[in-house]
Amino acid sequence: MELKELYALMERFEKSGLSEIVFKKDGEEVCLKKAAPAPIFAPPVYAPQPAAYPPAHQSHEAHPSDAPVKHGTDTEFIRAPLVGTFYRAPAPDAPPFVEKGDTIKKGKPLCILEAMKLMNEYQAEFDLEIVAVLADNGNMVEFGAPLFEVRRV
Amino acid sequence: MIQSLLIANRGEIAVRIIRTCREMGIRTVLAHSQADTDSLPVHMADEHVCVGPPPARESYLNIRNLVTAGVLSGCDALHPGVGFLAENAGFARDVGEAGLIFVGPDPEVIELLGDKIRAKHSAKDLGIPVIPGSSGSVENARDALAAAESIGYPVIVKAAAGGGGKGMRIVRSSSELGDVLVIASQEAEKAFSDGTVYLEKYLENPRHVEIQIIADRKGGVVHLGERDCTVQQNHQKLIEESPSPVVTPDLRARMGEDAVRLLRGLGYTGAGTVEFLVLDGKHYFMEVNARVQVEHPVSEMVTGVDIIRQQLIAASGEALEIRQDRVRLGAYAVECRINARSAGRVTRFMVPGGFGVRMDTFLYAGYHVPPWYDHLVAKLIVTGQTRAEGLRRMQRALSELVIEGIATNIESQKKIVAHPVFLSGTYGTGFLGEVMKEGSL
Repeated sequence: MELKELYALMERFEKSGLSEIVFKKDGEEVCLKKAAPAPIFAPPVYAPQPAAYPPAHQSHEAHPSDAPVKHGTDTEFIRAPLVGTFYRAPAPDAPPFVEKGDTIKKGKPLCILEAMKLMNEYQAEFDLEIVAVLADNGNMVEFGAPLFEVRRV
Repeated sequence: MIQSLLIANRGEIAVRIIRTCREMGIRTVLAHSQADTDSLPVHMADEHVCVGPPPARESYLNIRNLVTAGVLSGCDALHPGVGFLAENAGFARDVGEAGLIFVGPDPEVIELLGDKIRAKHSAKDLGIPVIPGSSGSVENARDALAAAESIGYPVIVKAAAGGGGKGMRIVRSSSELGDVLVIASQEAEKAFSDGTVYLEKYLENPRHVEIQIIADRKGGVVHLGERDCTVQQNHQKLIEESPSPVVTPDLRARMGEDAVRLLRGLGYTGAGTVEFLVLDGKHYFMEVNARVQVEHPVSEMVTGVDIIRQQLIAASGEALEIRQDRVRLGAYAVECRINARSAGRVTRFMVPGGFGVRMDTFLYAGYHVPPWYDHLVAKLIVTGQTRAEGLRRMQRALSELVIEGIATNIESQKKIVAHPVFLSGTYGTGFLGEVMKEGSL
């Protein structure tokens, strides 16, 4: 590949909304990646909500997005505050922020929700233990979908 | 053709859209609030996404979550339905910028039609009769007095950003004008964050008659005749019928041509309604509703045209399946809006049926009507060979309709459709107010 072509590709990639591109031509391979964008929003205050609104319906629990999880009385759910794509890690090849069984301090990042090209990072509102990770990396989560089951420590 | 549609609405209009999509093989994704998890459209849609908590401003008006839901669920188009964000130009723009088709007119057209003064100017420029009024907004009492003198009393003060009767005041003499102007402007400011008001000649007890239009992006603009929506309470429509008892074939032709010329001139796409006031055989342009309307089934029953289907075809960039010279106006159709007067659980629900009866609703026995949204819970539509036959059928259908567990306006609708003045067909928009004063409803 000519340097000229590479520069053109880099320029085009920079302007694009893509975060990563692998370009193959004549047996050559170029991989371009952008650094994970810094969260643009200040992370909204986000604690497991003692729901501001009463559950709409009793059968709400049967809603497919509310994964049926057994949980003790000492655990609670952290739910999605917006509709977005759920990411467990800051970059595709980075390790997840948290794993099942981890105990983390207040203020540590838990996940990223991407909505309208903005990366919103969410942090622990208190010291907690991750009992279960309930959403799948890279998938859409709806408003109120449980992301983590956690226990206060 | 659209493959996959996000429906950013709820209730009977969401059900209505899902039904047509199913017939057309379009996948539906319903965006809903937490209060609507158990709603009929959630059950009917192919998929559903919760976009927020019960209050509409955080769910059905939450542009970010709605657009994200559309993109992430793999939709290529978004239908805004009726109300909520259906006439929000900013929303239409965001939907387009996210790469989805907005099922409705272009944002610029929505913007223009949302400004009642600009809309009226556009109509006037295209040679459509408008109600005599101030040439623009009135800024002060002196301008208003001068404008009112030249128009002649009574005049009506209206909000430029208005709708639903808010910011509207009738003035019968110059002595009242100054005070009314201030009140109307304050009311408009509160309701629409825009205190701009203008003046119009007040037409005493006119008919409210509107023309249904569908337009594609290939120059096809077709009208489906008129709907008479004269039976209103506080500017809220309660009964709609077609044809109007006061519209002659000649008047229909003129109104239809005017409505088509207006929307063609504006480069309008999709379903829309041009509203007129009719008095003494003359029609005056009032405004355009830049969306499909609640009462669209009346025109569907009269013409046999599925308006939602044509809307989706037009949004896809394809040509409408209908042509003006093939539109056949059938005999008669009438719709009664069934409104809830309280929220709660529907304990018993019996739906009218039989020949010539259509029911559009999202109720079912056991459903909990949430307190957060519009009070419309069902639309009962019937057809007939004549107005008399249609209204007898409506009386029969209303008598079959049973909704228990919540309070509704069914009894009041029964009285209206059996009222001698309504049956006579000769009345104006003041009809219901007068009847209510008599205390017979």
